Amino acid sequence: MRVAAERRFDHPPRPLAQRLGAILWPSFFAAGVATMVFFAFVDPLLLRDLTFAELEISRGEGYTFGFFMFWACTASSSLFTWILLRPASRFNTPLAKD
Amino acid sequence: MAGSIPVHLVDPADPIDEVGLYVSERKIYPREQDGRFQRLRKAAVIWLLGMYYGFAWLQWDDRQAVLFDLPARKFYVFGLSFWPQDFFYLAVLLIMAGLSLFFFTALAGRIWCGYACPQTVWTEVFIWMERWTEGDRNKRMKLDAAPWSRDKIVRKGSKHALWLLFALWTGFTFVGYFTPIRDLAARLSPFEWGGWEVFWVLFYSLATWGNAGVLREQVCKYMCPYARFQSAMFDRDTLIVAYDPMRGEPRGSRKKGQLGSVLQRARGLLGMDVAISAVVYAAQHRTAADLKAGARATTGLVVDAQTHLPPPPVVSAPEDLGDCIDCTICVQVCPTGIDIRNGLQYECIACGACVDACDSVMDKMGYPRGLIRNTTQNALDGKPSRILRPRVIVYGLLLLTLLIGFAYGIATRTPLLVDAMRDRNALYRVAADGSIENAYMLRIINKDMQAQVFSIRVEGAAGISLIESGATHPAAAEEVLTVGVTLTAPADVAKGRMDVNFVVSNQDGSLEVKEETRFFGPP
Repeated sequence: MRVAAERRFDHPPRPLAQRLGAILWPSFFAAGVATMVFFAFVDPLLLRDLTFAELEISRGEGYTFGFFMFWACTASSSLFTWILLRPASRFNTPLAKD
Repeated sequence: MAGSIPVHLVDPADPIDEVGLYVSERKIYPREQDGRFQRLRKAAVIWLLGMYYGFAWLQWDDRQAVLFDLPARKFYVFGLSFWPQDFFYLAVLLIMAGLSLFFFTALAGRIWCGYACPQTVWTEVFIWMERWTEGDRNKRMKLDAAPWSRDKIVRKGSKHALWLLFALWTGFTFVGYFTPIRDLAARLSPFEWGGWEVFWVLFYSLATWGNAGVLREQVCKYMCPYARFQSAMFDRDTLIVAYDPMRGEPRGSRKKGQLGSVLQRARGLLGMDVAISAVVYAAQHRTAADLKAGARATTGLVVDAQTHLPPPPVVSAPEDLGDCIDCTICVQVCPTGIDIRNGLQYECIACGACVDACDSVMDKMGYPRGLIRNTTQNALDGKPSRILRPRVIVYGLLLLTLLIGFAYGIATRTPLLVDAMRDRNALYRVAADGSIENAYMLRIINKDMQAQVFSIRVEGAAGISLIESGATHPAAAEEVLTVGVTLTAPADVAKGRMDVNFVVSNQDGSLEVKEETRFFGPP
């Protein structure tokens, strides 16, 4: 005796722009805040002298580099969260045909 | 009033009610199963945990054999010692770990998950303890459903006591890899541990208890990224745990001895599309036993609307049935609670419990084994399958090359390291006699277990000489010396930038290291 099984709700994939936005925008915002707070206390020139003293890095370049480093970190974290939140059915596709 | 809010009664049986935004995880009670894969798994657990709990107590000469001495910034692994300067080897080791993951995943799927991952290994031990105190699957389910009684308190209490003891021992061993474990044990009574030692023992114990006792398969399903990348590393020639739908479908119960295997009957194997249609139909129309086993159907096969599928086969007589007797034991033994018959799933940790379960059922029915087996998708589809393919060979060769390089690098490491740092304040200075001088700091690291006496000389450019030539620098075992030295050159030689080498050697010349640096003069 077989009965109809409940169909679990499986949200359809969201559009690419929405996915990119959900990953890049919050991480951009967080990176901006982190950059402001970090460089409020640390002068990029002092940081340069402590680490790569032989490189010519101006203050502006230091801020830029710092921001993109923060953004890379926060965006990686957002990306990881997105991967973990995808429903099981997205991963459970049959193996691709050769 | 803007209008009344529409209200309607929701029938509890209404399907809309089933679509919860959050569905609480059903607790999984893995059924005990014996068989080839489960014995292998037990052996892996005992071997790996034996290493973890045992290695901390081994001695090498007069120190702990495996010790990560963070305050001294030295890692000891048996006869080898690693300093921060050996970070390169750690990087190579990590690359090798990544490549091994690719290699073994492409070759044999997620065997790491089933047999070697600390998460599954510790979970397995915690489940053993649960079995000792609460009994088998049915008893555990009954116990959880039953109201609190003396028996329940005793059983649950002893389980948690066992878990706690084991977790504490795990945490103690973990800290024992960072601070000498014999010393740590000696300071247990009277209790003289430091605050951080107490913290880390408790923290690691809590993590073990939480991950292996409470979270279990949910760590693999919801926290681990590896499972989610499996499709990128799998292809149709990767060994996976798979159910053979062409042989098994349509599934159904039957009397023992009533029906032979399809392999011995006129019906034979189904076509792949008909078999898939039968799987989809079975996943969407469950039997009572299936519903009780409670596996979720999350494969694309079942969730997505399938097109171009023929109608599922109709069972009008027992002769129409395939070899799957729909006993759901493969679901009951699964530590992640899935139904392998629904196809390849990221939740599958490749432990092979369902293979052993199905084999034992096939034996009882008198059918050939292997309805669920460790095989490749191509073999399952009845196509030729090649396990040794270019991808595997390339990964293997890369891994082998790195391994040889790693071993060679470590075997030929010199126990002497030299760093030359230029004086940052001035590029050069002009001495009273007009010659040009450059100042350096030399860091001489004696990684040897014996004391050494080092001397320094300079090579490279003619005319540049060391002011302190002839001086000797004694270094105790594992000592780091910081030596200030000055190079000098006549004004007519010192022009612009020149490359020079400091050569540091010990008395008998068995150790010698060359370190390149720059000498600057006026432009």
